[in-house]
Amino acid sequence: MKGTTPFLKIFTILVFLFLYSPIIVMVVFSFNESKSIGVFTNFSFRWYEKVINNPEVWKALFNSFWVGAVVTIVSLVLGLMMAMAVTRYSFSGKSILESLILIPVIIPEIAEALSLLIMYIFLNIPLGPVTVIIGHIAFDVSFVTIVMRARMAGYDKSIEEAARTLGANEFQTFFRITLPTLYPAILAAGLLAFTLSFDDLIKTLFTTGPGFKTLPLIVWSSAARGGVSPELNSLSSFALSISFLFAVFRLRAERRLER
Amino acid sequence: MNDVFSVELENIVKRFGNVVAVDHVNLKIRENEFFSLLGPSGCGKTTTLRIIAGLEEPDEGIVKIYGEDVTDVPTHKRNIGMVFQHLALFPHMNVFENIAFGLKMRKVQKEEIRRQVKKILEIVKLEGLENRRVNQLSGGQQQRVALARALVIEPEVLLLDEPLGALDLKIRQHMMVELKNIQRRVKTTFIYVTHDQTEAMTMSDRIAIMKDGKVQQVGTPLEIYYRPSNTFVASFIGEAVNLIEGEVRENGLVDTSLGTIYCTESLTKGRVAVMVRPEMVEISDKLHDVDNLFKGTVQSIIFKGSYIEYRVDVQGNTFIVHKHGSAELERMHHPGDFVEIGWRKNSSLIVPI
Repeated sequence: MKGTTPFLKIFTILVFLFLYSPIIVMVVFSFNESKSIGVFTNFSFRWYEKVINNPEVWKALFNSFWVGAVVTIVSLVLGLMMAMAVTRYSFSGKSILESLILIPVIIPEIAEALSLLIMYIFLNIPLGPVTVIIGHIAFDVSFVTIVMRARMAGYDKSIEEAARTLGANEFQTFFRITLPTLYPAILAAGLLAFTLSFDDLIKTLFTTGPGFKTLPLIVWSSAARGGVSPELNSLSSFALSISFLFAVFRLRAERRLER
Repeated sequence: MNDVFSVELENIVKRFGNVVAVDHVNLKIRENEFFSLLGPSGCGKTTTLRIIAGLEEPDEGIVKIYGEDVTDVPTHKRNIGMVFQHLALFPHMNVFENIAFGLKMRKVQKEEIRRQVKKILEIVKLEGLENRRVNQLSGGQQQRVALARALVIEPEVLLLDEPLGALDLKIRQHMMVELKNIQRRVKTTFIYVTHDQTEAMTMSDRIAIMKDGKVQQVGTPLEIYYRPSNTFVASFIGEAVNLIEGEVRENGLVDTSLGTIYCTESLTKGRVAVMVRPEMVEISDKLHDVDNLFKGTVQSIIFKGSYIEYRVDVQGNTFIVHKHGSAELERMHHPGDFVEIGWRKNSSLIVPI
């Protein structure tokens, strides 16, 4: 770019190095043959083999996926309804509702996790997949609503009126006009919701019951147990690549939205 | 005269909060008529149209379509077509799917849909564009898709809400002629909302002028231009108008600050305005054969292409005079010139204030 000083270039490169070097080191050392973390000896898939042959990892991966799927679907339905309510109608308490939507995004996750746990204990709900899912939905709904609301701000309601003048009733209008035109926004919000659920550790940690583990939980518990190890490196890289994949999908969906 | 009415509005009232958007509107729109609702923005014309469509519910009054009370019938069960201001084409469908939508909702057979879409595309001159995405079309083409989509369901009445507003002047002029032709071909009642009098004058059989939610006058373009029912209509229609206030002395005679003016005979009495269109006023150094004659000074002249606009000061009143013809260029008056202006009595009209 013209007018950019060399200083600015170097500064930018340094910032990005700072951001990404730990990840790069982790990924590089996941291919290290040696058990030592400090020295790279030989390229090998040895640790990946170990990860892949661990049934506990597969079970956790499966758990992460189905929890993510349920969370995404429920959050999308609730978030879409919420976003439609606040963008289309005016009602008393609307501005309070709009601030309430934001709060789960702002408050520290640890506080949210703890309060969820206290609530479950208070209500005597056994901890397990259900409590994990409810915990994830509780804040994914906010993210979905925020994304959808932003996308719906410029929505031209007259296409729905056009559909009605052409003989479509309210259901037909919703499923044939409203939903398809919002599809890119739904896709982007859905992928965001899934990624958030898939990556979540703190809330899962507080709200899960005995024996129910998601992928981040496995990573965390093996780190807590044995400290850093090459096996942990490859496990993390594995989890990272899945999250990365979903982030790419989401960016592509968003880019399509802008067109 | 044709006495079948496609749309009848009886005492329609619509309020938004404290604002009365539509104030006791009564209209009878004839079958196959090109009818315009014309007025400045905020006059209630769009709300009136949306009430006919069922997109707004009137607070009072009755809407009839072909004699049947449809006031409580929801939009999708009224057999109407509508073209929206911003067209409202379905962005996720191509041209064919957009046009076929209404037929699909009516559960028409696939083959029949294909045949009817093809036919309507011919009428709006969009043959061969079935598979285009709507955002790949020009403004004029999108206009035609919106029109085709509303017409293909053979509505009993087609409602158009300022559909040409977004187009540039040349395409708009072209579309005005097209719309009128299409209306003749499909033989459907068109109700057209606009704030642009050129559009209304060009296409309409009859026009309703609206202001502040009330209908001011209903008439043919000629009637509302030459026989406005009040001063609002007189000054709203036409490029300019001369209005001189006065008091009716006797039939056809009005006393004004400029003296007595001879007018077309009228039954209106009391405080009135005398209306003269600028093209009816003659201007010369010396005028003959006019019933009303005034001496004045040219204030300004504007060359407008096909005519020249003079502003002439007569005892502190400004008269606007339009003079057509290229020969005028030779004998043009200049600012400061003393001139005579005048007109015959049947060129001026008594208008209630």
